[in-house]
Amino acid sequence: MADKKRTLRLLIYISPLVLFAVSLYLGTYRIPLPALLKTLLSPFVPAWKAGLPEGYSAIVFGVRLPRLILALAVGSALSVSGASLQALFKNPLVNEYILGLSSGAGFGASLSLVFLGPAFPPQISAFLFAIVAVLLVLSISARSESPIVSLLLTGVIVSAFFTALLSLVEFFASPYSLQALFNWLMGNLARPGWRDLAVSLPFVLGGVAILLLLRWRLNVLSLSDEEARSLGVNLRGEKFLVIALATLITAAATAVAGIIGWIGLIVPHLVRMMVGADNRRVVPLSAALGASFLLLADDIARSLASFEVPVGIFTSIIGIPLFILLLRKSTKIWL
Amino acid sequence: MSIQVRGLVFLRPGFALRVPDLEFAAGRMTALVGPNGAGKTTLLKCLAGLLPVPRGTVFLNDRDLAAIPDGERARFMAFVPQEHTSAFNYSVREFLLLGRAPYVPLFSLPSSKDASRAEETLAFVGLAGHGGRAYQQMSSGERRLVLIARALVQDTDILVLDEPTTFLDPKHETNVLDLARRLVDERGKTVLVTLHNLDMAIRYADELICLKDGAVAARGVPEAIVTETLLESMYEIPMRILRHEGRTFIVR
Repeated sequence: MADKKRTLRLLIYISPLVLFAVSLYLGTYRIPLPALLKTLLSPFVPAWKAGLPEGYSAIVFGVRLPRLILALAVGSALSVSGASLQALFKNPLVNEYILGLSSGAGFGASLSLVFLGPAFPPQISAFLFAIVAVLLVLSISARSESPIVSLLLTGVIVSAFFTALLSLVEFFASPYSLQALFNWLMGNLARPGWRDLAVSLPFVLGGVAILLLLRWRLNVLSLSDEEARSLGVNLRGEKFLVIALATLITAAATAVAGIIGWIGLIVPHLVRMMVGADNRRVVPLSAALGASFLLLADDIARSLASFEVPVGIFTSIIGIPLFILLLRKSTKIWL
Repeated sequence: MSIQVRGLVFLRPGFALRVPDLEFAAGRMTALVGPNGAGKTTLLKCLAGLLPVPRGTVFLNDRDLAAIPDGERARFMAFVPQEHTSAFNYSVREFLLLGRAPYVPLFSLPSSKDASRAEETLAFVGLAGHGGRAYQQMSSGERRLVLIARALVQDTDILVLDEPTTFLDPKHETNVLDLARRLVDERGKTVLVTLHNLDMAIRYADELICLKDGAVAARGVPEAIVTETLLESMYEIPMRILRHEGRTFIVR
């Protein structure tokens, strides 16, 4: 039994590497395997570059590589953020967008796309408004006596408010900017390039790394506030730290990739079903499985038809039935 | 390690707790008894630092409790809640390890020493070999023992137990109080406990503190202070005291 679990953990940890290698090969433009390897190694062996068709380098380094790295980073970020917030809010049904982040980001992106035009990157405004939405939720709920319930309710209210504002912007938008906005809102890994990655990756990697270091502390924070305080936890400070990190990585991921739902809910849930509740295992395994999940979803989304289905739609289409199945299999429904 | 109370007043809507002066001596077991709403749990949580007490009212070895940071207090004093409910089903081993939180730095993991501490404690409470079981699948009696074990893993001089025997059958009630007694007798711990069962409180505690309407109605060695008049005034029903073979029984 213990060996089986160890093998399973190992498989989850190596799955992003295997999928990454396979995904590099996939794409509408077929590059033979030897040529793909040569293209990948051509920066180190310049002689190989000469024999390769001109477009290979642009496809591999300009399109596929940033897209796959983004999928790995965003999948990890959303899953780690979801797992951390679920521990903090003591509820496995909490998702990474619970604090109004996605609607804040959506509104920010809409403002930028509609009023500044599609040439101006919407990521900056999306990131800023994601943070504004979360700060708004935190400040409104700060004075409540039951902070968790209050946080969740305020998250719903602030989300509704930003969704209304988003609708207002959409009402005034031109059809051209509306199309760009919808494309962003549905979550898409095809658009961003190295420049977007360079901006968001440090936030994502830094935040995920710190949450990984905090993984055992998340077990302590998942106890009731009274129990955690009796164990010497600085509740206010540590809760703030986890919320800030989870917000930062989700906002950084959402700003570049758009709104990709359900990963932060499903991946930690799957991991808990496989290895138990201990966050020392749940958080790093969620990072690995989340990366694989989004990579796989993106592979399917871009291989299924001659045109690309936005991956955000795809994660919802496979995520929701999967989640219903998980809930039915669970012996207990947590609410 | 002892606890001193000096003029503690704790107010919340519809209730006031007023305790002029009290001392909980080190290495003894003190039981807080009284009717529902008398303020037992409130006093216990004030003493455990879980409710905000005014400065200069509760002292740990003459240090003002209000001035001791949470992290430091958790190395002196462990709190055992009535029940632990969680959406996450940790194993007993994982659950016990949480007791090491005051000693594990924020960005670190518990060490193998912490893990062996948890295993030893599990054996001490009579649950050796149960570390892999899921906490939520244990019986309520076993769960109380695990909660006490987590407090022991915390390695503190003082243990504060909030109604540890509520809803337990006589066997598990005895097991839990035997364990609390052993902690005082074998390990020199200071134990504070709230109890509803007066027979057990008289039998196990070194000292009783009787509370009524947020005030101390009586305090002292159980056999010396428990009288029918005191019990009737506290619980407002007729109560009789029977003594048989050196033990005291309350009959109502």
